Amino acid sequence: MELEKTIVGNAAILSCSGRLNMVAAPKLRAMVDQTVADGHARIVVDLTDTSFVDSSGLGALIGGLKVTRQAGGDLRIAGAPEQVTTVLQLTNLDRVLKSHSTPADATRDW
Amino acid sequence: MTGDYNVCAEAQPESLNLLHELLQRAAGEHPDLSPADLMLFETAVIEIAGNVVEHGRPTGEVTWQFHLEVRPEQLLGRLSDNGEAYEGDLSSGVMPDVMAETGRGLAMAHLALDGLSYERAENVNHWVMSRIRH
Repeated sequence: MELEKTIVGNAAILSCSGRLNMVAAPKLRAMVDQTVADGHARIVVDLTDTSFVDSSGLGALIGGLKVTRQAGGDLRIAGAPEQVTTVLQLTNLDRVLKSHSTPADATRDW
Repeated sequence: MTGDYNVCAEAQPESLNLLHELLQRAAGEHPDLSPADLMLFETAVIEIAGNVVEHGRPTGEVTWQFHLEVRPEQLLGRLSDNGEAYEGDLSSGVMPDVMAETGRGLAMAHLALDGLSYERAENVNHWVMSRIRH
C-alpha cells in the first residue's frame, strides 16, 4: 500500500492506495499519529484507491478516529469502494465512520 | 465450472498477498463467480489467515497451506497450518464495540461465510470456510 499526505486548508488528506491490511495498518496509524502531533487533527482518509480493507485496517481507522477526537479534531473517510463499504456495514462501523464521496465533500463544514 | 487452487507459505503478513492473488486468479478463470461472493469470501479468508499470522506459535516458524475449490454451488477454502493448537473459542465471533481497535476478525469471517469450522488433526490446524454461491 502507498500512503500520501496532502494538506488542504486546515485538513490533512491521507490517501491510501492498495490493500489496507495488517502490513499497511501500522503505517497508516503512524501517519495519523504524526499528522496529529504536527498540529493537524482534522484528517480525511481518502480510500478511493484502496482495493481491500481487513480488520487491522479498520482498527487503524478507529485508532485514528480516537486520536484526532482527543486532539479536538475528527477523522473522516472518503471515496470508500464497495468492499470497504461492505466491511464497514458488516462491522457496524458505518455508524461512526460515515463515508463521504470525495475528500472535498468530507471537509465541507471544516 | 469447478476449479482447484493451492498455495503455501510462511505465516508472515506479506504472504497474505498470495491469497489475494490466488483468489484473483480464480475469479479470472471463473467469470460466472459473483463479485459479491468473491469479495465476502476473500474478506473471510484474509481474516482467518491473518489470525494464523498474528497468533500462530511458535512465532516465525508457522507455515500454512491454502486450498480453494470453486464448486458450482459454493466456494470452499481449507487453510491448514502447523502451528500450536488454536486455543480460542470459534463460536465467540461476537462483533466488539464500534470503538474497539481489535477483535473483529473472527466475527467478520462468520458474517461473510455460510460455514466456518476448525479442527486439530495430527498436529495440524484445519480451518474450513464455505460460502454458498449466489
